[in-house]
Amino acid sequence: MSAPNDSRAEPHDTPALEVRDLVKTFGPVRANDGISFTVMPGEVHALLGENGAGKSTLVKSLYGVHRPDSGEILRDGKVQHLDSPSVARRSGIGMVFQDMRLIPALSVWENIALHLESTSGVLRPRQLRALIAETSERYGLATHPLRKVEHLSIGEWQRVELVKVLLGGLRLLILDEPTSVLTPQEVAGLFAMVRRLTAEGVAVIIITHKLREVRQIADRVTVLRGGRTVLMNASPHALTDAELITAMVGEPVETLQRAVTPPVTGAHALVRLNGVSVRRPDGDWGLRDLDLEIRPGEILGVAGLAGSGQNELADLLVGADGIADGEVVVDGEAVALPDPVRMRRAGIVGVAPDPVRQFVVPGMTVAEHTALWNSAGMFAFDVRHADADLRRRDAMAELRVVASSRRMDRLSGGNIQRALLTLALTSDARVVVASYPTRGLDVLTTERTRTLLRRLSEAGAAVVLISEDLDELLALSDRVAVLAVGRLAGILPGGTADRNTIGELMTGVEAA
Amino acid sequence: MTSERLVLTRSRAWDVARSAHRAVSWTRVGIVAGAYVLCLVAFAAFAAWRGANPLTLIPTMLQSSLLEPSALAQTLLRAVPIGFAALAVAVPARAGLVNVGGEGQLIIGAVAGAGVGIAVGAHVPGVVGVLLTVTAGTLAGGLWAAISGMLKVAFGAAESVTTLLMNFIANDIMLFLIYQPWKDPNGSGQPQSRPLAASIRLQPLLGTGVTLAVVLLVVVTVGLWFVIRRTGWGFALRVVGGNPMAAMRNGLPTRRLSLSAMTVGGALAGLGGVLNLIGVEGQLRPDLTATFGYVGFLACFLGRNDPIRVALAAILFSAIALSGNGMQISEGLDGSIVNVLLGAIVLTMLTVGRRTKEALT
Ligand SMILES: Nc1ncnc2c1ncn2[C@@H]1O[C@H](COP(=O)(O)OP(=O)(O)OP(=O)(O)O)[C@@H](O)[C@H]1O
Ligand SMILES: [Mg+2]
Repeated sequence: MSAPNDSRAEPHDTPALEVRDLVKTFGPVRANDGISFTVMPGEVHALLGENGAGKSTLVKSLYGVHRPDSGEILRDGKVQHLDSPSVARRSGIGMVFQDMRLIPALSVWENIALHLESTSGVLRPRQLRALIAETSERYGLATHPLRKVEHLSIGEWQRVELVKVLLGGLRLLILDEPTSVLTPQEVAGLFAMVRRLTAEGVAVIIITHKLREVRQIADRVTVLRGGRTVLMNASPHALTDAELITAMVGEPVETLQRAVTPPVTGAHALVRLNGVSVRRPDGDWGLRDLDLEIRPGEILGVAGLAGSGQNELADLLVGADGIADGEVVVDGEAVALPDPVRMRRAGIVGVAPDPVRQFVVPGMTVAEHTALWNSAGMFAFDVRHADADLRRRDAMAELRVVASSRRMDRLSGGNIQRALLTLALTSDARVVVASYPTRGLDVLTTERTRTLLRRLSEAGAAVVLISEDLDELLALSDRVAVLAVGRLAGILPGGTADRNTIGELMTGVEAA
Repeated sequence: MTSERLVLTRSRAWDVARSAHRAVSWTRVGIVAGAYVLCLVAFAAFAAWRGANPLTLIPTMLQSSLLEPSALAQTLLRAVPIGFAALAVAVPARAGLVNVGGEGQLIIGAVAGAGVGIAVGAHVPGVVGVLLTVTAGTLAGGLWAAISGMLKVAFGAAESVTTLLMNFIANDIMLFLIYQPWKDPNGSGQPQSRPLAASIRLQPLLGTGVTLAVVLLVVVTVGLWFVIRRTGWGFALRVVGGNPMAAMRNGLPTRRLSLSAMTVGGALAGLGGVLNLIGVEGQLRPDLTATFGYVGFLACFLGRNDPIRVALAAILFSAIALSGNGMQISEGLDGSIVNVLLGAIVLTMLTVGRRTKEALT
């Protein structure tokens, strides 16, 4: 309101956002227990911390989703009460949630229109679509306004969320684990957009578990542990990875080294795909003429740009999807798909590509999910012994799964992933189809999960590792299959595969 | 490794502490109780404005619905069709299906029961006759709802619409039958079916005024509560209702489950319809169900799909409806004024009944 006072001179000295001693409890849970940090205009501020550290809770308070119990939120030096998301939006705060909230049955532009209705006056469809196109163009976010959201890949889905948020006059952008669902190319695109925004003076808060990304994009970091600030407004360049990890976890963590395994020779394939083609719901080909062998004792990595057929492959292997052509042979016998029970009885389990949509049953506890998992299509659900079973599994997996009485749909993304992994990786499976297994996991749990996958394969299981993290694929896989638009572009031995060759195969440069 | 263990125990303790937070919230109980009182006060004010004495109003209503033995019996008898119709909504709701067809399923249950009852008449012993009639009504209700269930799983037709349409068809079928083939020759021209033989009618139990139908409602309610909570079928319905995709991936037969939920729901309403026929009505007539099916739908909403609470809500609605009689007699008001109370309760519960949703954008 008043003219800036001389002693405070530069506007850049006033933080765009200042959080003081924020407390947010859920019953006895102190999810945020006195958090403070500041974000300057034009700055990228990274929030780090283990799963359940309270990052999402914190940013939800900043976006008006939660009312903090105590503490202050200051914008440009003035205390602000963010009573609801619409108040936050009107004051120039935009947020992309960890679990995105579009309405699948509507088209892209309709979803955006719904969001805008609450912020400003009604727009005509044509005007709005033009505006969407312009915003998409300006920030390099490719979207198809007319497509239905349910047919989008997660990366496109997120770009729609971003466009939605950018259409308001943005001052502070909050991104809750945006990169955990993205391919490396998409991450690069996102970061380019973030830089464009910060150049315009927008402040950005980004939550991530990946230190590489912190180094790429963040100007400062704040680390949370158990709901408290353990490191505040620090410069990432002044800290080593080990120091950051120690701050997050409270102890140093060793990263997994690439194990040298003898090449598997002459092993009998557990599952063989012969010329398999799969159609997507929207009519396009998901997989085309795929030949693939899945062998025991081997980690088969699957690389590809988003939407190149990875999810169709995963669905096929767990029997959730049917095939349009070709055959799927399990233990030498062709199977009729879809048939999840048949595949599960054959010892094939999956870590679902999209756990919130494919695994979480709203209203049910972790114990009930365990009972459902254990039923394996037998129609007998032993909820009574589910807790004991989960503890047994947790002792094996050591992924620190939450208490079984918690409701699955109320868990943080990372904790849902841990529960799913704890079930999938301790099921005596012969084939584990792990789609993006470390998505949303903190550093410690990521390493633990990779170790578990490696151990499973050493014990003779076949692991199909679908991932968008090339480092992960290269560190773990014995062979890497590269998919490009639903076709197998090539299979490389894990030891000698390099990023460039894989990248070329993915984009189809060589595959002509 | 040991340090990793330490982390493990730490997070366990943390989680256990958190999971303690699942007890009853007394503030919520207070809010709901307060809302009911508020509805009553608002209703009393409205009735006073219409000329009733607000001080004698509530006692009169209680008298004519709950406090007098014969009034209580009436309330319970009327709660039978409402309660079964409400349970008919609750079971499909578990599987995420909206059954708006309670009304038609009540009617079709009564029609099938009447058909069998008229046919067997007094030719068989009473017990056998009652069993045949009740079975026919239950099956008919189930099959009637199964039609909508089939349309849903085969073609994806919205069950909320098809069940509603089937209500009109059921009513037309009944009207056709009572105007034509089943018409009562001694009915002085009234459109009604021939009355059922006395041996098929339910008799009041031990001079209490209530029939076996009320006992059956209690038994079925408790049974359903158990089935939904403790059996694999009930568990599977919750999974299908909560996330059909997860259900499919876990190998649950989602279509068969949806169909079974719909069929069981319809059978419950059919049972309610036939019990109302042999317990209260004795013959088919137009307006046989008097919108019990729709009132049942609201009762199910009020009871949040939990069988026991749903049945209690049905009794409450039945009591409210009957309390109108007392008002008509002593206060000189139109008995339908109690619909104001009913509406007020449903609307209030629509707003305060839901848990506040934390995480909405
Ligand atoms: N609505 C809620 N009700 C109860 N507890 C909650 C709620 N939201 C979050 N919590 C709990 O608060 C803690 C912090 O959760 P939060 O989602 O903020 O973690 P996070 O740091 O974002 O974790 P992740 O990296 O897994 O996303 C967790 O233990 C979580 O289960
Ligand atoms: Mg989070």
